[in-house]
Amino acid sequence: MPGFAIEGYVIVSVVLFALGIAGVLVRRSPLVMLMAIELMWGAAALLFLAFARQFALMDGHVFSFLILVVGAAEAAIGLGLIVLLFRAREAVDVDEVRELRG
Amino acid sequence: MPVDGSLRLILPEIIVAGTGLLALTAGLVSRRSRLPGFVSMLGLAAAAYFLLAEVAGETTQIWSGTVLVDGFSTLFKAVFLGIAALIALVSFDYIERNGLPAGEFHLLVLLATVGMMFMAGSLNLITIYIGLECLALASYALTGMLRGSAKSTEASLKYILIGAISSGVILFGMSLVFGVAGSVHLAEINAALAGGTPMLPVLLAGMVFLVAGLGVKMAAVPFHMWAPDVYHGAPAPVAAFLITASEAAAFAAALRIFLVGLPAIQEHWTTVFVALAVITMTFGNVTAIVQTNMRRMLAYSAVAQAGYVMVGLAVASERAVSAMIYYLIAYAFATIGAFAVVILLGRYHPAEDIADYRGLGRRAPLLALTLTVFMLSFIGIPPTAGFFGKFYLFQSAVAAGMPWLALIMVLNSMVSIPYYWGVVQTMYLREGETDAPLPAPAGVRWTAAIGLAATLILGLFPDQVVQLVSAVQVVPALLSGGL
Repeated sequence: MPGFAIEGYVIVSVVLFALGIAGVLVRRSPLVMLMAIELMWGAAALLFLAFARQFALMDGHVFSFLILVVGAAEAAIGLGLIVLLFRAREAVDVDEVRELRG
Repeated sequence: MPVDGSLRLILPEIIVAGTGLLALTAGLVSRRSRLPGFVSMLGLAAAAYFLLAEVAGETTQIWSGTVLVDGFSTLFKAVFLGIAALIALVSFDYIERNGLPAGEFHLLVLLATVGMMFMAGSLNLITIYIGLECLALASYALTGMLRGSAKSTEASLKYILIGAISSGVILFGMSLVFGVAGSVHLAEINAALAGGTPMLPVLLAGMVFLVAGLGVKMAAVPFHMWAPDVYHGAPAPVAAFLITASEAAAFAAALRIFLVGLPAIQEHWTTVFVALAVITMTFGNVTAIVQTNMRRMLAYSAVAQAGYVMVGLAVASERAVSAMIYYLIAYAFATIGAFAVVILLGRYHPAEDIADYRGLGRRAPLLALTLTVFMLSFIGIPPTAGFFGKFYLFQSAVAAGMPWLALIMVLNSMVSIPYYWGVVQTMYLREGETDAPLPAPAGVRWTAAIGLAATLILGLFPDQVVQLVSAVQVVPALLSGGL
C-alpha cells in the first residue's frame, strides 16, 4: 500500500477524541453534548478503519459500520429524551436538571 | 458446520428476543393487562429449558468465532434469565399502578437480557460491544419509562449521556487494542501479545480506556456518578434489574476481556483493579451511611458491593472468579427481594424514605422479616448467602498473597453494618404513624419469598453451589491448547 501512513490517521483520531471529551466537559446543552459524544465514537471508528487498512483485515471495517448503526440508534433515544425533557420543563441545560442529588 | 446445528446453540437468545415481540403484541392487543408479563415469564422459562437441556455442557465457537458457547456463558445466561423472570414477576402490580405500557416494558427487559447473554457468550470484541449496546439502549429507555415523572426523565438523560460517553471510551480502547494486536478476537489478541508486548504505551492506553468504560457500567468509583441518580429515579423494578443483571453482565464481559484477551499485561490491570476496588467499596459504604432515602442507600450499597466483586477481578485466580460468580448470584437474589419490599412501600409512601419503614415489623411482619434477612446478607452475617460470598472473595485474596486487600474488605463490611442495621431498627424499634397492615400483591410476595429461599439455600449449602460454579472456566478449554 504505497503512500499509506498510519500516523496521520491516529493523530486525527486522537484529536477528534480529545475534542469530543472537551465538548462533553465544556458544553452544557444535552444536544451539543450528544454531538460531542458522536465525535468520540467517530474517532474510534476512524481508528478502526485505519488499523483495518493497515492489517488488511475486514474486522475493523465491520466494526466501524456497526459503530455508525449503534450511534444512530443512540441518537434516536437521546433526541426523544431531550424532547420529553423540553416539554416537561422547557429547559435544555443539564445544569437545570437536578432534582436527583445527594 | 451445518446451519441448523449452530442456530440450535443460540436458540435461548432467539426465544427471548421472539418472546419480546410476542409480549409487545400482547400489550397492544389488550392494554393494561397482565398478559405481556405472563408471556414474558413463559418465554423466559422456555429459553431456560433449552439452555439447560440442549446447550449446557457444550463448548464450541460458531460463526467464525463471533459466538462462543461454554460453561461460563451458560451459567451467566441462566443467571440473566432468572433475574429477568423475577423482574417480570415483581413488576406486575407496579406496571398497573403506574400506568406503564406493559408490552413495551417487557419487550425492553427481554431485549436487554438478549444483550447481556451475548456479552457473556462471546470472545469477539464486536459481539461483546453489540451486546453491551443492546443492553444499554434498552436500559436508557426503561429508565425513562415513567413519562409523567421528572425524576425518571432526568435519570434517563443522565444515564444516556454518561452511558454514551462510556461507550465511546470503550470503543476507543477496543480500537487501540485492535491496533496493537491486529485482531478483534480475544484469543487471537492473547496469542499476538504472548510473544511480547509491542507498543506497550498504546496497549496500556487501550487497557485504561477499557477499564474506565467498563467501570462506568459496573458503577465503580470514580465512574459511578450516574448510578445513585439512575437507581433512584428509574422505575423501581428497572432499578433492581440494572443493579443486578446489568452489573453482572459488565463483570462477565470484563472477566473475558481481561483474563482471556489481556493476560499479557496482567500486572498492570491488576494494579488498576486493586485501586478501583478499594476506592469503590470505601466510598460506597461511607456515602451510604448518610443517606436518608431507601433507594439512594441501596444505590450506594450497590456501589460498595461492586467494589467487593472487583476484588475478585483484581485477584483474577480461578478461585476468585468462582467467588465472584457466587457473590453476584447471591447479591442478585437479595437485591431483588429487597426491592420487592421497596416496591410495596413505594406504593403507600412515594418518597421512599428510610423513615417510612417505621413500624413495618407490625404492619407487614413477614415482609419485614425477609427484608431483615436480605440486610443481614448484605452485611455478610452467616448463614446467609452474603457471608459465604464475602468469605470466598476473602479467601481468594488471601490465597493470592493480598491479605491486606482482604483486611480492607472486612473493615468495609464493618463500616456497612450501621446503615443496613439501621433499616432493621427502623422497622422494629420505631413506632409508625399507623399500624394499618400493608396488603402485598402476589407478585411482590412471591418475589420476596424466592429471594429469601435463594439467600438461605445459597447460605446453607454453599459448598454444592461453589462446586457447580467452580466447574466453569473463563478461558474456555478449547482455547487453552492454542487456536
